[in-house]
Amino acid sequence: MLESIYESDKLDFIDMKIKETKIKIPSYEITSESAYLNRRKLIQSVGLLSLGVGISERSFGQDQSVQTLQSIKNEKYSTSEIPNSYSDITTYNNFYEFGMQKSDPYINSGMFEPKPWSVEVSGEANITGTFDIEDLIDFNKLEERIYRLRCVEAWSMVIPWVGIPLSAILKKFEPLSSAKYVSFDTVYRPDQMPGQKRRILRWPYTEGLTIQEAMHPLTLMAVGIYGKELLNQNGAPMRLVIPWKYGFKSIKSINKIRFQERQPKTSWNISAPQEYGFYANVNPAVDHPRWSQARERRIGTGFFGAKQPTTLFNGYADEVADLYRGLNLRKYY
Amino acid sequence: MMLVPYFLLTLKSFGYLSGLGANPVETIIHETGLWGLRFLMLTLLLTPIAYYSKIPSINKLGKPVGLMAFFYLLNHFLTYAMIDQAGDLGVIIVDIIETPYLIVGWGGFLCLLGVASVSFKRLENWFNQNRSTISGLVYTATVLGVWHFYWQAKVVEIESLIYSIMVTILIVWRFKISTSRSS
Repeated sequence: MLESIYESDKLDFIDMKIKETKIKIPSYEITSESAYLNRRKLIQSVGLLSLGVGISERSFGQDQSVQTLQSIKNEKYSTSEIPNSYSDITTYNNFYEFGMQKSDPYINSGMFEPKPWSVEVSGEANITGTFDIEDLIDFNKLEERIYRLRCVEAWSMVIPWVGIPLSAILKKFEPLSSAKYVSFDTVYRPDQMPGQKRRILRWPYTEGLTIQEAMHPLTLMAVGIYGKELLNQNGAPMRLVIPWKYGFKSIKSINKIRFQERQPKTSWNISAPQEYGFYANVNPAVDHPRWSQARERRIGTGFFGAKQPTTLFNGYADEVADLYRGLNLRKYY
Repeated sequence: MMLVPYFLLTLKSFGYLSGLGANPVETIIHETGLWGLRFLMLTLLLTPIAYYSKIPSINKLGKPVGLMAFFYLLNHFLTYAMIDQAGDLGVIIVDIIETPYLIVGWGGFLCLLGVASVSFKRLENWFNQNRSTISGLVYTATVLGVWHFYWQAKVVEIESLIYSIMVTILIVWRFKISTSRSS
């Protein structure tokens, strides 16, 4: 496995052009974090980060072809914590569009088609309409950011995302001063997303942010993980990542963006308003009505790994606390 | 035969059958809880099965199936207490008090603990003399177990919905039978 990756990297380095290599990887050989870190070191040492490299890989039992993505690591916004393995990140997901079990998105997302992809932009902005993903995202400006992700269910991961700041996308549409909020929809395709056949949540899944949160430099529109395009179970082809909020705010497979004057109604908030607020900021002092949020289980720490304390705003308080000055976090949970 | 799920789980925890997944503690807690509840439901189902099939000896299965449910739920509780909460009694008590569905689950477990402890040979007489108390405890444990299962999920799951309906029907049936017998 290691060898094959090194091999292809070297090949591309020599050829200096885009090349497609098919590699079949059994699930037990999916990049572990140490292999990934070694690989990164190697890539950095040969200065490959800015070169166009394309490796398409088969993932698990499904035929998901993903390209590698070029990115520059954003050190300022990356944690030094060790990322979870690619296998953990791609087999343990909450994505109810593909089923309610953690393994369902991995098992059931094979028929989802993330390409081609277009996004409908509407509402309080000068420029609106339907745009291709390439119009929204400048693939030459991708950043890698290693963020913590804290789920409302009290588990967490560390994920090396690839993406661009959401603000860079939103600014293109010249939002008006009346745009106080931005809302996002997940695509509705019950034929490709079997979980949508049951009304366990209001479909399409809708999430929203205040314009300040949306424009915050930490808010990322991710298109990849571990230097590869997102797999379907992770929200291909584009998804939000808001690292200081519970995971359900980081909406996946986005096909609609709306600039709004009023606070949008969001899916989990509609489902159980007393349990899932609009803000959903990670906060160990404000428990979920049915369980404690004081601690979290870091995925990948193994059977005897102890739970760790959860931190305010998931450890991003220095960056985001100003957004909520004067706001009662217990009331606006 | 009733231990098959347990052996499968054991095999998985040693990395076979594609393992326990990214969150092994959660998998073990969920699986043992689920099987415990399934055997508990089966325990209660034995009475109507014996009644309608007119094979009273089916009722004798109540004790082994019930004990099997207890075995799974003991594993369920011990995995939560000793591994998920690392055996820290203070943390466990606070966690149970703070988490309503844990209070409910703990209540159900205590009921079963009572039933299981009187099923030893020495207490057999007592066991036979107090059948109604015991079956009352098992019914209570099942209701609390279903409630606990229903309450811990973020949205309504089909399995918990099915069990809720089943347990309601079973209780209504049981009351009908006992009132018709006494009259």
